[in-house]
Amino acid sequence: MFDLRQTDLTRGEFEELALKHLDPLYAAALRLTKNDRDAEDLVQDTFLRAYRFFDKFERGTNMKAWLFKILTNTFINRYRRSVKERNIVEGSERDAVHERFVSREAAEYAANPEQYFFDRLLSDDVLKAVDSLPIDFRLVVILADLQEFSYKEIAEILDVPVGTVMSRLYRGRRLLQKALASYAVLSGVLQDVGEDGSIDLEAYRKRRGDKSA
Amino acid sequence: MAIEPTLSAVMDCGELERAIDAYLDGEFDARERAEADAHLAKCERCRALAETQGRIRTAVRTRLREAMSPPAAAGRAPPALRARIEQALASSHRPLWRRALSPLPIGAVAACAAGALLVLATHGGNDALVEEAVRSHHRGLPLEVMAASVGEGSIPAWFAGKLDFNPAPPRFRADGVHVLGARLSHLRELPAAYIRYALPRGQAGLFIVDDPGGRFGEAGRAVRFGPHLVRLVNARGYNVAVWRENEIVYSLVSDLDETALFELVRTAQATR
Repeated sequence: MFDLRQTDLTRGEFEELALKHLDPLYAAALRLTKNDRDAEDLVQDTFLRAYRFFDKFERGTNMKAWLFKILTNTFINRYRRSVKERNIVEGSERDAVHERFVSREAAEYAANPEQYFFDRLLSDDVLKAVDSLPIDFRLVVILADLQEFSYKEIAEILDVPVGTVMSRLYRGRRLLQKALASYAVLSGVLQDVGEDGSIDLEAYRKRRGDKSA
Repeated sequence: MAIEPTLSAVMDCGELERAIDAYLDGEFDARERAEADAHLAKCERCRALAETQGRIRTAVRTRLREAMSPPAAAGRAPPALRARIEQALASSHRPLWRRALSPLPIGAVAACAAGALLVLATHGGNDALVEEAVRSHHRGLPLEVMAASVGEGSIPAWFAGKLDFNPAPPRFRADGVHVLGARLSHLRELPAAYIRYALPRGQAGLFIVDDPGGRFGEAGRAVRFGPHLVRLVNARGYNVAVWRENEIVYSLVSDLDETALFELVRTAQATR
């Protein structure tokens, strides 16, 4: 039968192994879909698919990585199409702006007396910064820096070579640092650092505007 | 991450800069780490870089965790979601196979779910050839060629010259479905290619016959899938899906329920 005649025992085992990863999966889904309702649907689909394929899961291997693989596949197949258009526009614009600044400034800030500016950012700013990343970079940053998967695990989750993981992670992290620095300037946590250190013209102008107003 | 031994003797600043993430992420093996440490020990600039990057990395990770782990709202699934999932798992029979069987565009699935499985006609009575197919499948005679030994792709070639038509087995694009093997068979006096498939649970048997005379009847319920009419016939406890492409008739005998059988057949129709 295609429908599941798994015993309650199997379901119990599945729930015990899988449901403890509900929070991290939801957190990732929320950053991918940027929307509570889609995130919940995505997570539910993920668990149902995982349950359906539970017989293919090798006991003793990494359940969390397996669930994240199903989550990202499900997202890419099912949800990305609708989210894609938005992201292409946002992503390419942001790329163009960010690429020119990639991270040397953020590194310099961190070496400044204000090096702890990251610590003073609001969580909302951190989320906004993550959300501002183009989706492929957002994914690797979440998998590496939030979920602390290894490069090899991420490569398996995303079905890409380790080299691709490394380059996406490199760019993703620099873009994230850049975005965080922008929010820090906007919120006044970080002083703008003069001509050469200008981190983001838009942020800089906005801040200037706020001052003169 | 392995570095070729011939290239690895000395790590220079450029290499270290490029690899700084892997170094800080603990992805280096012992030898690579030793090389990086050796370089850092004698290069103040790179040391400063590693220190700064390390500090940023720690700060960012801490902030991400705070923002996206419990108890932060963005890091905690709503309690209702857990209940919803548990409930869905408990009653997952019906919607599950649909998702699992669908490497198809979501639109097709949605259309199907929305009631596109329109029954066009229902005819009573028996179809002698379908009955024969069920009997033959149920006997479970040994296969003459096994996919495990010749490869699934070689099954059509195995039939070449053995029948006076060329059977083209459809491809069921569903997870967990694959060809076990094949044998020559017949339905009444019609020579048939018989292919046995493994399903996630159980097996199915497909008979392919050349039927220029229209010997197959109309019994069962007719449903349209794209260009094809598929008939569903219940016989001796099996559900059989029957469809025709020109003069070739396919009869898929299975113990799937009707809806799952239609889904399986649909995966083959979509690829043709």
